[in-house]
Amino acid sequence: MMGGTTRFTGVVSLAAVLVLACGGAAGGGTAATTTGEDLVIGAPMSLTGSQSKEGALARQGYDMWLQWINQQGGINVKGVKHKVQLKYEDDTSKADISAQLAQKLITEEKAQFLLGPYGSATTASDAVVAEKNSIPMVEGNGAAQAIFNQGYKYVFGVLSPANVYLSGVLDMAATLRPKPATVAMLAADDNFSQEVAKAVVDYAPSKGFQVVYSDKYPNGSTNLSGLVANAKARNPDIVLNSGHLQEAIAIHKAAKDLKLDAKLSAYSVGPSTPDFIVALGKDANYVFDGSQWTPQVKSTASFYLSSQDYVAAYKKQFNTQDDPDYHVAESTAACLALQKAIENSGSLKPDKVRDALAALNVSTFFGQIRFDSRGINTFKPMVVEQIQDGKHHTVWPANVADATPQYPTPSWSGR
Amino acid sequence: MQLFVQQVVLGLLIGGVYVAVAIGFSLVWGILNIVNLAHGALVIVGAYLTWLLFARARIDPFAALPIVAVALFAFGYALQRALINRVIRAPLFFTLLLTFGVNLVIVNALLVIFKSDFRSVTPSYSGSGFGVAGVQVPYIRLGALGVAVAVAAGVGGLLNRTRTGAAIQAVGADREAARLVGIDLRHVYALTFAVAAACAGVAGGLITTIQAITPTAGEPYTLQAFVVVVLGGLGRVGATVVGGLVFGLVETLGQTMVPGLGAGWANAIAFAILVLVLIVRPQGLMGRVA
Amino acid sequence: MPPPSSETILVERPRLLDRRRLRRLLVLLLVLGAVLVLLAPLTATDQADSLGAPQLVDRSQIRILTTVAMFVVMASAWNLVGGLTGYSSFGNVAFFGLGAYTCAVAVDAHRLHLPMAAAIALAPLVPAAFAALVGLPLLRLRGHYFAIATLGTAVAVGEVVKNVDYLGGATGLFPPILHRADLLFLYLMVGAALLAVLVSRLILRSRFGYGLIAIRENEEAAGVIGVNTTMYKVGAFAVAAALTGLAGGLFALWNSFINQELGFSLDFNIQMILMAVLGGAGTLFGPVLGAIVLELLIQNLAGRSDVAVYAQIGLGLLLAVTVIFVPRGIVAFFGGGSRLSVAHLRRSLRETGV
Repeated sequence: MMGGTTRFTGVVSLAAVLVLACGGAAGGGTAATTTGEDLVIGAPMSLTGSQSKEGALARQGYDMWLQWINQQGGINVKGVKHKVQLKYEDDTSKADISAQLAQKLITEEKAQFLLGPYGSATTASDAVVAEKNSIPMVEGNGAAQAIFNQGYKYVFGVLSPANVYLSGVLDMAATLRPKPATVAMLAADDNFSQEVAKAVVDYAPSKGFQVVYSDKYPNGSTNLSGLVANAKARNPDIVLNSGHLQEAIAIHKAAKDLKLDAKLSAYSVGPSTPDFIVALGKDANYVFDGSQWTPQVKSTASFYLSSQDYVAAYKKQFNTQDDPDYHVAESTAACLALQKAIENSGSLKPDKVRDALAALNVSTFFGQIRFDSRGINTFKPMVVEQIQDGKHHTVWPANVADATPQYPTPSWSGR
Repeated sequence: MQLFVQQVVLGLLIGGVYVAVAIGFSLVWGILNIVNLAHGALVIVGAYLTWLLFARARIDPFAALPIVAVALFAFGYALQRALINRVIRAPLFFTLLLTFGVNLVIVNALLVIFKSDFRSVTPSYSGSGFGVAGVQVPYIRLGALGVAVAVAAGVGGLLNRTRTGAAIQAVGADREAARLVGIDLRHVYALTFAVAAACAGVAGGLITTIQAITPTAGEPYTLQAFVVVVLGGLGRVGATVVGGLVFGLVETLGQTMVPGLGAGWANAIAFAILVLVLIVRPQGLMGRVA
Repeated sequence: MPPPSSETILVERPRLLDRRRLRRLLVLLLVLGAVLVLLAPLTATDQADSLGAPQLVDRSQIRILTTVAMFVVMASAWNLVGGLTGYSSFGNVAFFGLGAYTCAVAVDAHRLHLPMAAAIALAPLVPAAFAALVGLPLLRLRGHYFAIATLGTAVAVGEVVKNVDYLGGATGLFPPILHRADLLFLYLMVGAALLAVLVSRLILRSRFGYGLIAIRENEEAAGVIGVNTTMYKVGAFAVAAALTGLAGGLFALWNSFINQELGFSLDFNIQMILMAVLGGAGTLFGPVLGAIVLELLIQNLAGRSDVAVYAQIGLGLLLAVTVIFVPRGIVAFFGGGSRLSVAHLRRSLRETGV
């Protein structure tokens, strides 16, 4: 009879619902997720060669996220969890090799997404491969704006672009008393450093500074005393350098040799690494640098770890007392952006994830991650650090700082 | 005016380092007719040795120089005897390729041992110097110039006042005649290279007090050594000294004193000078016309 | 009557696999192999898919093949100056860079905005003009001086390019990406490689080529017998520049990114010399062989960080071994002239050692 069947069906359905509900409650939700195929992400990286130090840091950043995401069971795509396989290829810091390896990762190692390499030239080359293959690439280590001015659709950068690297230092300097008046800008002649320098020269006047000396030197130079002497002759209150670790060390040594007593010295790269302090000892004190992130930065983490937990996890995973450098953090941030986009899109299809990346707006320990129409993160500010008594402290902006700037820098003979 | 004097002083001081680097290179080229593309690597080996002695045994870098010299001497002797001697009479680009290969092996061996971290030697007296009328003269750089001049004098003395030196010069002048007179070519070649390596090692020791070193930091020095030797002229130690000092001056002044021409053109300037000298006065500033 | 002459006419009994037949067979196999390798990428096209053909070659391998072809061009070009004429240039990468930048500037929307074909046509011309210009003074130098002067020129040109905004400055230039053009660039590069080999062959069998070889063997004597040494040297230099520039131009368009480091890469510089020498400087197929073998080796070793440093050490040792024991390159073993034997190695050593 109809009535009888309906009731029977009703009872069965009710029972089924009850069973499911119980199963769901007992399993804490995991019974509702299944495990899907592993997700392969490719990462061409400078594991050896001229950029190997920074490449190693970037790798640490990727590995930190990898360990965490797999502990969670993988990336959740509409209820199905996919563990992540991260495949590295060593591009030996060469852009042409990096491009070849990026293609190899996609074609032969079946990478569904790419994480960026280290450095602007390698990122530019790999970006082309990502575009040609319509595979999204999220990067945290290539800050040159030119890459993002090409109208690429599949390339996204989570870090603040090169042109704001030292503007935070200038902002801070404008608030210090006695207010410094003159700026000397020494820059390496590579892509990234030149963008930083050009931005400084353009921005400084608006803050009331006069740029009295601006020059560039060949990338990797070690004989910079001539330049420093030139700078000294113009009596700059602020000495800025955008370049690399070796040059920062050389310039600082030359400044001491020549008794260049600047009220404020800031280098874009160098002071944030422990090597700088090791190489210069006490001479490293008072030096500022612009940083994408510091452990003291107060940020809200809507998922993943907070800054504090991140630092602790880093020290544990790599068995070290050193804080993670910003290269590590920005690399992890790239992974977080990719993860969030995949989750948001509910899909592993490259085009859908790409659209989710373009629409992404999330706050993490690294800061806000959101991309402008070109694909780079213009929404996160840079912070300023200073080396005080052999330790790093965040000194600007005030709402994230853990110390106040030590200013002015005492003269060399006075230390 | 004060700035100009400061730049001149700086130029001469760095010129001293260039002299130290170029002496060994000049010797090998002049006597063995080999352009040693591994020269920069030998310099860096010396630099690392100095750093090791400073970092582990607290030996002052200047005091470590003799130890480094002896070590590099032995290494250079072995290298020449075992390897380079075998291609002395081959077409020249074979020797270039061989020394390039040696360079690859040495630099990468250093990478394996020391990784690519930057090392620096900062003795307690670094940064101090004396000032004369506002012009600073840092002690370390002055010391480097002194050592460079001493090394040049030493090599000059070796070549001109000892029997060994006479043998070396004879081999350089006419190989077959030297052989006929009974000179053991293999030994003399190896000795020459050994002396050159020792000089390179000492130069490396000086460099490590001035800049941070990494295994690949030697490459620019080979090229600079070439420019210095071409500038000064092949053949005499004095010529190399002049070449080194002039190059240091030109580099520093060119970088900083020519308006509109920034330091970014440094390499371009260096090579423009090089090519110009080669074309206009190939025997260099002090060399003899062939 | 004189006694009957005991002339015996020796008749060579034709054997099935004698030296000559063997060599011809080998060459045939090689050519067949090359043709197959060159046609295989076509299986990656849509047309092949629709015909149901299996894809034999993937995108990554097509990239590798394109790079190999590029080096065939560069090694063959270097061979003209270094191998045939005996002027070992350590700065040929300058032409690569000039060709690359010419093409990049030519296609750039904010600069010359020319069509791609025009850009490719320009790519050999600018380096050739440059070579003719600097070749006149440079080729007056010999030996070491020439080698380092050319190296200096390459470094200097790279530096100049880095300082000029119109040429992209420190950032570099970004030729627009051509989608689905992998095969186009592969065959363009292979075409360039065939052109390079063809040009080499033409030169080798011409008066020009004999003149170059004469210059290598004894420049003074060559001048005496009427060879216009300056014209010949500059001519070889310009031809080498044109070919290398073509490779550079194609590279810039294919890579869609060129900067000073890539265009004037010291790695490329030394690799093209190695390939020519390893393969056999002065021969026709030596550079081709050297380029194929070395580039495939490099590509196969790429990516493994544990191997990277040891690969470089291995390369250095390979160099040392080649230069000491096998100076005439791999191709010498195929010519039938010398065989890999201890005696041959000992002889090599005696020729070049102290």
